[in-house]
Amino acid sequence: MTWKRKLGAAAAGAALAPLIVVALPAAVASAHGYISSPPSRQAMCAQGRVPNCGDIIYEPQSVEGPKGLRSCNGGEGRFEQLNDESKPWPATSVGKSVSFNWIITARHATTTWEYYIGGTRLAVFNDHGRQPGATVQHTVDMGSFTGRQKLLAIWNIADTANAFYACVDLQIGGGGPTTPPTTPPTTPPTTPPTTPPTTTTPPTGGTWAAGTAYQPGAEVTYNGATYKCLQAHTAIPGWEPSSTPALWQKL
Amino acid sequence: MRFRLFLGLAAALLVLTGCSGGAAAPPPVRAPSSAPEFNAADVMFLQMMIPHHEQGVEIVRLARDHQVRPAVAELAAAIEATQRSEAEDMKGWLRDWGQPATADASAHAGHGGMPMTSPDLIGALKSAPGAEFERRFLDILAGHQHQAVEMSQTETSTGKNPAARDLAHRIVESRTAEIKQLLGYTTT
Repeated sequence: MTWKRKLGAAAAGAALAPLIVVALPAAVASAHGYISSPPSRQAMCAQGRVPNCGDIIYEPQSVEGPKGLRSCNGGEGRFEQLNDESKPWPATSVGKSVSFNWIITARHATTTWEYYIGGTRLAVFNDHGRQPGATVQHTVDMGSFTGRQKLLAIWNIADTANAFYACVDLQIGGGGPTTPPTTPPTTPPTTPPTTPPTTTTPPTGGTWAAGTAYQPGAEVTYNGATYKCLQAHTAIPGWEPSSTPALWQKL
Repeated sequence: MRFRLFLGLAAALLVLTGCSGGAAAPPPVRAPSSAPEFNAADVMFLQMMIPHHEQGVEIVRLARDHQVRPAVAELAAAIEATQRSEAEDMKGWLRDWGQPATADASAHAGHGGMPMTSPDLIGALKSAPGAEFERRFLDILAGHQHQAVEMSQTETSTGKNPAARDLAHRIVESRTAEIKQLLGYTTT
């Protein structure tokens, strides 16, 4: 579905190709970043804990808009889902003091980082135009706020008119239950398989499927061919056996 | 260093044997005899993505000698294997096309420099204290893979070469799924 949409966008882009080539450097210049923990709404979408988020799952770092907004989507129409209060946003249980961790994919000069709940600015960190690292951490006091709250974090860029926006749903001060964290796919501990295991009898047959944890020696079929797993991993889209000779050996 | 040497040898071997892709499963690329179809966007994509892949390998290798959950170590090892393989393919294509393996550094000056994770940050990650390492590792790796998604999206919309476009498509898919897993580990 999303791929079809991308194809459509690509087709539309093809007509503009000559323009894009010229405009490309500017297009790539935007800084990017978002809060990974406690998970922001875009992080919740990107990790699949909240469904039907739209394009944001491909670029949670791109919630960019003019400075001065107070919305979760930074005024970006294609990320409107981030403003949807009817979505089941899980609230992360936190104490009075919370450490927010940012993932930065483009390290652009920064004026300030701001943290709001409602109209109250809880904290501001002034970087005076410095370039941030690939990760940034701020510890913010929640003040007198308790219970479920929607916090808005804003990263103000120094050399553009824009800012990046991230909403984080919090349950402050323990208290009420939150949506239990989904456990990530756990796979048994392994040491990097330098030699193929000789004792385990891998499951035979079966069609390759994303989400399945495969151990070295496991055999699957994919597009009519049989493959043997070379490297322990959990299968994901894009790692199909036919295109990952590092993970699968064709038999 | 040894890794680079290995890649160089592997790439040289590919050229000698006239094979344009990885030895185990050649990707669908035309034989060198027919003129390969590619444009400037394809070349730039590969020239940017090869060092980005190598840096990604440098990051995930840190999980080997630091304290991380077994599942994180397994994901890191699988990422290392796949990105090494992809880097070999990409180097082979540039050689087939008679294009330089690296771009002039100034080529990226117009858009804020090459989107890489800077070496000083990787150095800082190396020395992160035990409990702190995994969280920062997950965030830095997720950020690095986001960059790969962005570059690949540019390739899928502006590139011409079928093999490079196919790789870009697979990078968008696989890195998005990797990030999903990394973020899952970040919050549990």
